Amino acid sequence: MSRESRAYRTEGIVLRRRNIGEADSIFVVFGEERGKFEGVARGIRKARSRMRGHLEPLTFSRFLMARGRNLDVFTQAETVRSFPNVAADLDRWATASYLLELVDRFTVEHAPNRDLFHLLYASLESLDGGSAADLVPRYFELHVLALTGFDVYLDGCAACGGRLPPENTLVAAAAGGLVCRQCRPEAGTGRLLSVPAIKVLRHARRASLPEFVALRVPGAVVEELRAALGDFVRYHLERELGTARFVEELRASGSITAQNADT
Amino acid sequence: MSGSGGTPEPIARLVEQFHRLPGIGPKSAQRLAYHILRVGDDEAQALANAVLEVKRRIRLCSVCCYITEHDPCNYCSDERRDRSVVCVVEQALDISAIERSGGYRGLYHVLHGVLNPMDGVGPEDLRFRELLARVQDGGVQEVIMATNPSLEGEATAMYAAKLLGPLGVRVTRLARGLPSGADLEYADDVTLLRALEGRQAV
Ligand SMILES: [Zn+2]
Ligand SMILES: [Zn+2]
Repeated sequence: MSRESRAYRTEGIVLRRRNIGEADSIFVVFGEERGKFEGVARGIRKARSRMRGHLEPLTFSRFLMARGRNLDVFTQAETVRSFPNVAADLDRWATASYLLELVDRFTVEHAPNRDLFHLLYASLESLDGGSAADLVPRYFELHVLALTGFDVYLDGCAACGGRLPPENTLVAAAAGGLVCRQCRPEAGTGRLLSVPAIKVLRHARRASLPEFVALRVPGAVVEELRAALGDFVRYHLERELGTARFVEELRASGSITAQNADT
Repeated sequence: MSGSGGTPEPIARLVEQFHRLPGIGPKSAQRLAYHILRVGDDEAQALANAVLEVKRRIRLCSVCCYITEHDPCNYCSDERRDRSVVCVVEQALDISAIERSGGYRGLYHVLHGVLNPMDGVGPEDLRFRELLARVQDGGVQEVIMATNPSLEGEATAMYAAKLLGPLGVRVTRLARGLPSGADLEYADDVTLLRALEGRQAV
């Protein structure tokens, strides 16, 4: 077994950490060049580790890596961009964690997806810059679906291609998008979207992220989008995401603490 | 490596059990299992008993969730400790580190983990319910969040502030900064920034 040890440089956004042994961690990174990849960082949990802080979920860092027999090894790490305002706000942190988990779940290793990388980077930047924390993830969901082959069809009926009149319209994950009245019986479960919600979704498809988050969208419409896009994510991933549940719990616990304050 | 087929089933089972322990890889698990095979019956019995005893006699303190033989634990039942301050830690081991420093005489609360939604650890998987109950019972004026300075540790502290803040209790965070022995030039921005914020007169 020859142990070829070749060093190389790369960079990416750290998606998640898994601790192994006494002081090591495995990190999953999503990079522009390499797509999703894993590596091990030895001794990173020791206080003296020089990589600590540079190699944490939710940081965009540059790495020096060494090829290993099973896993490549992080030998140096340097932060290029951190998102301090996201890290300092529980709701934004939870939302960012959700975006990271979406990328982790919707990608396979070693398959570059530059557009998705740029979407993630721009979304974290937007959250860090104080954009509407409930609009960024909706834009992200719609586009992560499109960029990984699960486009939500909005321009007509996803089943028959027919035109859609401006009225409450069914959106069904199994059908792949909006569904006309005639096709409803075969469309599977879904939910009705209001005309404003459909307009906002179509706008999200064409607009840039900064354009989209600048919109003023009524809370009820955001709720419709959250529910509908959540259906698509669950349908394609065939699971409930832990981070999505956490975001949900924070919303709920917000009202719980408010009640406690009164008693 | 695994020698499937060749390894007698009881040994394979023991290897499997050791492998589940934190920090034990397949090689170490095998070494431990074959070690057990060589030791005398008494020694093997002693190990088995020690494992069972721990499970039988050690429980979580009903107040602070520390691991204890007596409920409430020694910390919670020590009348000389300041009952108005509760220091919240990630794991039971952290308490010994704080005790060793000698600078703290209040009570503790063990969360048994930190928020890590990516790995499915939400608030309900930690001992927040018990913490909330303690604060609601009254008498606690300050809750010191001593979770690790990782993103998850910070988020856990923020969650505690959000949960307990409305009850009128002061929620504080351990001052963070550079670990002693760390080189300034290798410190990341967030750590440096916090070290600056937490600076003290010399
Ligand atoms: Zn149709
Ligand atoms: Zn106790």
